[in-house]
Amino acid sequence: MKTTMNNNPVLDASFRDPSGFLFMRDGVLYRQVNKIYAEDYTRLMDSGLYAKLVKAGLLISHAESGDGEAFQPADAASAFRTLRPELVAFISYPYEWSFGQLKDAALTTLSIQKRALKLGMSLKDASAYNIQFHAGKPTLIDTLSFETYQEGEPWVAYRQFCQHFLAPLALMAYRDIRLSQLLRVYIDGVPLDLASALLPMRTRWNLGLATHIHLHAGAQKRYADVAVSEARSGRKMRKEALLGLIESLRSTVRKLVWKPAGTEWADYYAANNYTDAAFEHKKVLVGEWLSKIEAKTVWDLGANSGIFSRVAVETGADVVSSDIDPAAVEVNYRLVKEKKEQNLLPLVLDLTNPSPAIGWNNHERDSFLQRGPVDATLALALVHHLAISNNVPLPRVAEFFSVCGEWLIVEFVPKSDSQVQKLLRSRTDIFSEYTQPGFEKAFGQWYTINESSAVRDSERWLYLMHRK
Amino acid sequence: MIQLYLDPGSGSFLIQLLIATIAGLSIAIGANWSKVKHLLGKKKIKVEANDEDDDEQQPGA
Repeated sequence: MKTTMNNNPVLDASFRDPSGFLFMRDGVLYRQVNKIYAEDYTRLMDSGLYAKLVKAGLLISHAESGDGEAFQPADAASAFRTLRPELVAFISYPYEWSFGQLKDAALTTLSIQKRALKLGMSLKDASAYNIQFHAGKPTLIDTLSFETYQEGEPWVAYRQFCQHFLAPLALMAYRDIRLSQLLRVYIDGVPLDLASALLPMRTRWNLGLATHIHLHAGAQKRYADVAVSEARSGRKMRKEALLGLIESLRSTVRKLVWKPAGTEWADYYAANNYTDAAFEHKKVLVGEWLSKIEAKTVWDLGANSGIFSRVAVETGADVVSSDIDPAAVEVNYRLVKEKKEQNLLPLVLDLTNPSPAIGWNNHERDSFLQRGPVDATLALALVHHLAISNNVPLPRVAEFFSVCGEWLIVEFVPKSDSQVQKLLRSRTDIFSEYTQPGFEKAFGQWYTINESSAVRDSERWLYLMHRK
Repeated sequence: MIQLYLDPGSGSFLIQLLIATIAGLSIAIGANWSKVKHLLGKKKIKVEANDEDDDEQQPGA
């Protein structure tokens, strides 16, 4: 997953921009700033922009070689500075974000650009991959994204912003929420001609989308073979006009909303507050076991809107809270925002097809499993969905969890349970192995069972297991 | 000419010149809307606070 320069593995996610790159040494992440970027980097630091953005929680902070420490560059010949950036708990990708997460990442990018312009700088890229959720909030992690603003120049990253943010958001809001997955196919964002073709006709009456997507796609086609300088023919863009463009993008993004068809958000919130004796007992068991094993990192798989993820956060863990349902993840993210939670990251994830490694050489963006393993995995009310709805044999379910992390808290829901009955109603019961002894035998191939407990007022069982 | 590492796209450059002109104009009108109305003799100038101070507000917060 990494290439090597002077024995320092250079991370494969940062090779496009000649301004610098990320590398690992002795388990520590560094960013080398190249000489070619010296002037822009100095301006970022000296103009006060860096301090202002870090204070607002919009840009990741870093320590610089010389701040009482000396960081050796990976390639001394090209190096201007070596930085040690603050670490993000979990790197996630735009195709794993809910609508609200992508929208907030877009607004964060525009907010940064606006502040940069005030201090004489401009974003030279607007990649969604440069935004990460850090302590609960979208944050720019690429310190080298700024360049000195040249009066009269248009925004060089405008096309990228439209492809990475505006097009997928518009498609999710106006066509189908599942179109966020186009970002998994198109690593540099959704091509605007495709977005324009897929968006409903009525979006042409939305001034923002009509211009930034439809007209924009048309202009790209028309000027495809024309050089930038020729197309511009010396035309300048005043700063006020550039600020107007940013404001227009901001208002277009802000107006995009998404709500699942046929449901109200309130229904999801109500389900989130659902409680009975069995549920409460499960919360107690999960809390006790996670405290006992002192898990620092947890993946809550099939988390719905994150009730048990929050139990895990209370025990002191950093939690990734994933679900296949974009609406459940949206509610989860809204709760994170409302409560200003810092250690919980909701993500949209289909466990039957988790995010693959993508991009150049298949190494640019890590697969979901490459971003593990974690101390503990939670699989509550999940196994029956994988085993019965998706026909995954129980030993394979256990094997998958064993790759995710060392410890596992897993719930067994028997066939007699109404939720399993619901799944079986529409199909033939071919699952003769799906019994509690069958479950223990299958998981026993991969795990040692440390604790088990019947869940009060139910036929369900909860297990704490340790990987063999 | 500045060094670009992203291809800004010729069409993308042109379209933003166009949009920015319109957007810049509408912002100028928007910011001075009360003055415009005053000129038209419709209303007194009213000083309004910005609906949101973008500078201090974090979108994700």
